Amino acid sequence: MASVTITNVWKYYGKTAAVRDLNLVCEDGEFLCVLGPSGCGKSSTLRMLAGLEHISAGDILFGERRVNDIPPKDRDIAMVFENYALYPHKTVYDNIANSLRLRRLDKSTIDQKVQKAAKMLEIEQLLDRRPGELSGGQKQRTAIGRAIVREPELFLFDEPIAHLDAKLRAHMRVELKLMQRELGTTMIYVTHDQLEALSMADRVAVMHEGVLQQFGPPQDVYYKPANQWVAGFVGEPPMNFLDCEIVEEGDLLSVRHSSFTTALLPEQAAIIRQSGDARAVTLGIRPEEISIDASSSERSFSGNVMLTEPLGGDLLVDVALEDSKVLVKTKPSYRGGRGEPCHLTFDRSRWHLFSKENGVAYF
Amino acid sequence: MASSDIVRYRSPLRRALSVATIVFLVVYLVWTILPLFIMFVSSFKDLLAAFALPEVGDWLNIGIFFDFEPTVKHYVELFTVNNFSDYLINSIIASGGSAVVSVVLGSMAAYALSRAEFRGKKDLFFWIISTRMAPVVAVMVPLYAIFRGVGLVGTLPGLILAYTTFNLPFAIWMLKGFFDNVPYAIEEAAMCDGSTRFQAFRAILPLVAPGVGAFLVLCILFAWNDFLFASIIGSGGAKTLPPATRELVQPQNIQWGKIMAAGVVTTLPMMLLGLVIRRYLVAGLTMGAVRE
Repeated sequence: MASVTITNVWKYYGKTAAVRDLNLVCEDGEFLCVLGPSGCGKSSTLRMLAGLEHISAGDILFGERRVNDIPPKDRDIAMVFENYALYPHKTVYDNIANSLRLRRLDKSTIDQKVQKAAKMLEIEQLLDRRPGELSGGQKQRTAIGRAIVREPELFLFDEPIAHLDAKLRAHMRVELKLMQRELGTTMIYVTHDQLEALSMADRVAVMHEGVLQQFGPPQDVYYKPANQWVAGFVGEPPMNFLDCEIVEEGDLLSVRHSSFTTALLPEQAAIIRQSGDARAVTLGIRPEEISIDASSSERSFSGNVMLTEPLGGDLLVDVALEDSKVLVKTKPSYRGGRGEPCHLTFDRSRWHLFSKENGVAYF
Repeated sequence: MASSDIVRYRSPLRRALSVATIVFLVVYLVWTILPLFIMFVSSFKDLLAAFALPEVGDWLNIGIFFDFEPTVKHYVELFTVNNFSDYLINSIIASGGSAVVSVVLGSMAAYALSRAEFRGKKDLFFWIISTRMAPVVAVMVPLYAIFRGVGLVGTLPGLILAYTTFNLPFAIWMLKGFFDNVPYAIEEAAMCDGSTRFQAFRAILPLVAPGVGAFLVLCILFAWNDFLFASIIGSGGAKTLPPATRELVQPQNIQWGKIMAAGVVTTLPMMLLGLVIRRYLVAGLTMGAVRE
């Protein structure tokens, strides 16, 4: 077991910087997810941790040990690849046993460990098959088996379940999380799927264009996004963004949009006042934090239903405001149809204001 | 999934083409197989029987071509009087040796060229193949001088080295293509498993086995059929089958029977090798470990 410390790490490919000045600390036994769209530098980070890429600048430490110049085989890591990377000419058993054979363990120990891993992953009946005869999920289990028999200090997972179908993915999410809790091994898991990151990780590192955007527990990333980019990337359906301005009405600070003006909560007003004379802002609010009703109420404002999308247990409603639109997530009990007027209320404790200049969140 | 059959419709042109195809194939088969067949049959004939041929155009008497007492005396004499067993062994060692050396060195060089990035890689790569551009006769004289200087003329190691100089660039070029097709992830997985770079290289070797197998055959073929190197570099101590066969042509006596038998001895092993190795040349390992 080991903690992982990444300090001021840069990665260049030629002249393009894939990772810019990354600082991360992953605690011993922690499940850390690195989340970001493709090309954000998350895989490069993982490959530097594995030792498959040189570190252009900065240091990576496992515990107290600086690993910059240590080859992969001596780092005591196990990696699961996006495309599984099984040895096609070897059976499942030999694939899993490979790392143990390289360590020259005796036959009975190897057999015991392989059987144990196979049992845990429920692939005992597949041990004689070759990768070509396996389904995607089975290959994935084999790849994970190959990683866990090593009993490494650190697991590195590179989008391991990205290629499985949705149902199997949901199943594997639970299994991977259980497995990590059981083994207690530090795990760094790279994914572009925010659902995976939020559901499995102890902490999530969100990356974009090589820069770390936010690092914290999943709830923080979801409920307190550091900037507009994180707010828009995390969450499905995505957050609504509305161009607004701050107006002063007597003592109160309010957010004004072409179709509504709503007062800020006192503590929110204090933050805005402190930050100086911010006037143009972006209001962000998640679809589930807007309530929709046919009749008006205090602080509600009106719009028109453009479209409804029933999702079974939930209902998505596209609502047209004067010059923009918002997406609302509600329950199927809402009966409004296309073109009908409706009234929206924002949950003010859950909305966010972002600077128009640099997208940084005020709250 | 779409059917892999090509949809065809009958038309007079297509019918004519299919007839033409069959005619072409028949002519081609006669053209390639007949000489081998005559060589094979003649090697079992006495000298007189070998020249018992019908008149030109007299197809009815074609039977006399097959009317002979089979004899194996040419084969027996080749191996007892003419030491062909030695030459056969020399041929095997020279061609097999150079093929193995070329494959071992070639696969390592090809792997390096496929995986590593370094300055001047393209130039190096081009230089390697450019050594094959000069015709063999152009380098023969200087090569002979060098080999004589270091005492390699007339020895098997000399012959192996000579063949390797010509096979190696070819090996590197061919095998690099095979390595390029192997995904990096597999050797990266091997390195994470605890392999050194060299062990990782060995881990992916089975994936290029079809390429290595095919190339091994080409190397052996080149060396086995070679006459020029064999007669100049290998002359004397390391005589192989082709120059040995040529020696059966003597000014006062051309020993046709033995020449035919020697031809069979030279050709047969390569034909058998081709049959054995065919599965490597056609397909290979079933891939599928990596999602394409």
